[in-house]
Amino acid sequence: MTAVARYWRLFRVQVRSSVLLGLQYRADFVLDGVVSLFWTLTALVPLFTVFHLRQTVAGWTFEEALLVTGWFTLLEAILEGAINPSLTAVVEHIRKGTLDFVLLKPADAQFLVSTARFEPWRSTNVITALVLWTVSFVRMGRLPSLPGSLAAALLLVVATSVLYSLWILTVSAAFYVVKIDNLTNLFNSIFDAARWPVEVFRGVIRWVFTFIIPLALMTTFPAQAMLGRLSLPALAWSVVGAGVFAWLARRVWLSSIARYTSASS
Amino acid sequence: MSLRSTVRALPTLFRVGFAEMVAYRAEMLVWVLATTMPLIMLALWSAVAHDAPVGAFDQQDFVAYFLATFVVRQLTGAWVAWQLSFEVRTGTLAMRLLRPVHPMVSYAVENLAAIPLRLVVALPVAIIALVLTGGSRLPRDPLLWVIFFLSLIGGWLITFLANAAIGTLALWTGSSVKLMDVWLAMFMVFSGYLIPVELFPPLIRGAVEVLPFRYQIGFPVELLTRGLDRGAALRLLLGQWIWVGLFLFGVRALWRKGLQRFAAYGG
Amino acid sequence: MVPQTMVSVQALRKHYTVHKRPPGLKAALGSLFRRIPTVVKAVDGITFEIARGERVGFLGPNGAGKTTTLKVLAGLLHPSSGEVRVDGHVPQRREDAFLKKITLVMGQKQQLLWDLPPSETFALNRAIYEVPEPQFRNTLAELTELLELGDLVNKPTRTLSLGERMKCELAASLIHRPQVLFLDEPTIGLDVSMQVVIRDFIKAYNERTGATLILTSHYMDDVAALCPRVVVIDKGQLSYDGALDELVRRIRPEKRLVLRLDGPVDRAALEAVGRVVSTDAAGVVLQVAQDAVNAAVSRALATLPVHDLTVENAPLEEVMSELFAQSRAARGEVEDAA
Repeated sequence: MTAVARYWRLFRVQVRSSVLLGLQYRADFVLDGVVSLFWTLTALVPLFTVFHLRQTVAGWTFEEALLVTGWFTLLEAILEGAINPSLTAVVEHIRKGTLDFVLLKPADAQFLVSTARFEPWRSTNVITALVLWTVSFVRMGRLPSLPGSLAAALLLVVATSVLYSLWILTVSAAFYVVKIDNLTNLFNSIFDAARWPVEVFRGVIRWVFTFIIPLALMTTFPAQAMLGRLSLPALAWSVVGAGVFAWLARRVWLSSIARYTSASS
Repeated sequence: MSLRSTVRALPTLFRVGFAEMVAYRAEMLVWVLATTMPLIMLALWSAVAHDAPVGAFDQQDFVAYFLATFVVRQLTGAWVAWQLSFEVRTGTLAMRLLRPVHPMVSYAVENLAAIPLRLVVALPVAIIALVLTGGSRLPRDPLLWVIFFLSLIGGWLITFLANAAIGTLALWTGSSVKLMDVWLAMFMVFSGYLIPVELFPPLIRGAVEVLPFRYQIGFPVELLTRGLDRGAALRLLLGQWIWVGLFLFGVRALWRKGLQRFAAYGG
Repeated sequence: MVPQTMVSVQALRKHYTVHKRPPGLKAALGSLFRRIPTVVKAVDGITFEIARGERVGFLGPNGAGKTTTLKVLAGLLHPSSGEVRVDGHVPQRREDAFLKKITLVMGQKQQLLWDLPPSETFALNRAIYEVPEPQFRNTLAELTELLELGDLVNKPTRTLSLGERMKCELAASLIHRPQVLFLDEPTIGLDVSMQVVIRDFIKAYNERTGATLILTSHYMDDVAALCPRVVVIDKGQLSYDGALDELVRRIRPEKRLVLRLDGPVDRAALEAVGRVVSTDAAGVVLQVAQDAVNAAVSRALATLPVHDLTVENAPLEEVMSELFAQSRAARGEVEDAA
């Protein structure tokens, strides 16, 4: 069996486990969905307040900023449904000492831990994101252009990849630090800056959020693409940047595992 | 579990709590670094005030306000809701109950023991804030400084007691983390943490005056940076400590009920 | 020809640094900025070989380096120095072919998915180890029969008792029919009857499949029942490597006479047969030299009101404590002399 076929099969088995697990805890869905929605709505209050006081902020109008918030909401949904559950499980493994079992398996550890848990029912915010985008375009009285939409779709893949790589980097830190419930907290806190167009930040911070922790890539660029404002070079660089970032994350993961196996007892 | 024995145990409890915090210094650092909200908001509101002041805030005002928010957040944080949820879920609450100290006291000490370390980060930020904005906004009236320190204690108490109340609910529901998330969301919006209370439209302003959130962090920050007069300060102080009293009473009642249930079900 | 040596360890060393944290407030503050590193020599020069199909027990006090050695053999830890080979593979390279040949079972830690039935973990392992369907079914049937799993595999893992979980854990770890089994305290925490079940299963599995077995355990009964050969590790070094019987003979060659008596007997009469170790309601235990056993037995039967008599070896626990005490004394002497 080729490697691709083999990992595709593994993927299907893992998804099956997740679904079975989800069916066990049906009651939690509703509660999670409600809390999620509440957070999203509460998070809109600053946006509304700010644009209640001003027409534009950092060159963005309310409708345009709403697009950015929509992308943020969508990525949050992907984070909650596809990325968080699995990678939180890694942290648990490290704490309980059962990561050894993962490392003993004849399959790539990063793949195994990343696909261990999916909770798609957490992704109610996908709908919220669609609602925000709809409201924005209705208020602007137009539709996104076709090339813009295609670019946005491509950037969705790019953004998800960057988000995943960021998470791998965060979890790799778990190998070095003993008690890291707060790592998810740290990640979410920094990610929260992606709620706003990157132009809100100035100087060094804007540079960091564009090139080091590429939040701009995840929410601002896709919004600009939808508005037809993203240049082709920027799009190309985003794709290349995401690829480089994924490669970097993989290297850090591998070296963290190597360190874990050589330093621990 | 007498008061005297508790008081005598306090120094040791604090020492051990502090040593624990030092042992987990990396986590402490992460926790402090994770307080990015005030800084993100600072960037946002500075951008809003770029061309002209917003209400009574110009860019300098926002710098002072949000850096003060960062510092006050470090000094008034508590996480006992998560502790309680965890201990109820894993059954380790029983061990805490066996100790000859009231669990709430031991939680309080653990949460307080983090403050010295957080001060290590908070102090430089406070100094930076002073340097950037000058000391002109700080209160001159010594009474206001007394009120400020009282407001810090009150703010911590409300945060801790709210955490404790929600955490105690875990004795019924198994885990109250989600409820704490709801509280946190409301806290962030209505306390002055994300949006200075002054800038709210009148409708929301009314609600904010009545809810406890503003007294957790907005009140101390406003004392430091918004030039409140004695009358307003005292009025708000009273309001804050009424909430402290309400929460204290509520937590005691909840805890007693909760323990009964815990004992009945074997934990 | 199939090579006979399965596991080969040469001069294995595993050192790692920990940071000492002295007690007290001042030290706690100091450790914020500066920590004292100390080198811990978990394994400090161990050499041995294990043949295919052998059952070997690793013995030693806590912290001796048994689990560390096991993890190095499994590829989970990198040795600081020395050469390790398992079936020709270098474990630390973690090649797929190597990983498919081994399995590690750790008491108190489990790989079973907690909220799902063990059957799901079996299915997952089947996919991971790429076990063909017919082989999977055969293996599963065999394991179910040997372990008497019955319907356990269809109930969520969290609803099973500790013993039932251990049985399913063993099954999950053997889905891919590994050739080398690393067992780290597999019976810890289990009740006596379950320990027997597990022991019998492991022995039967080894006999049926010829798999090589390396076991660490604190329960001497495990070792006595399963491992004709033991490797004793103390403070990271090899104390003894050979047959268990030989070890017992070497350390505590005396035999024990366990007597059940019909009536009270004065101590002098007992002393005439052998050294009195203990007397209680259950019986009398006398210690005699190996070559004096026959004479002692005849004398006991002739002079004492014996209701029941058995001849036993010294309990393994005693043998072990004696062994560790001896090696510690030897090391202490060396250190003093140096």
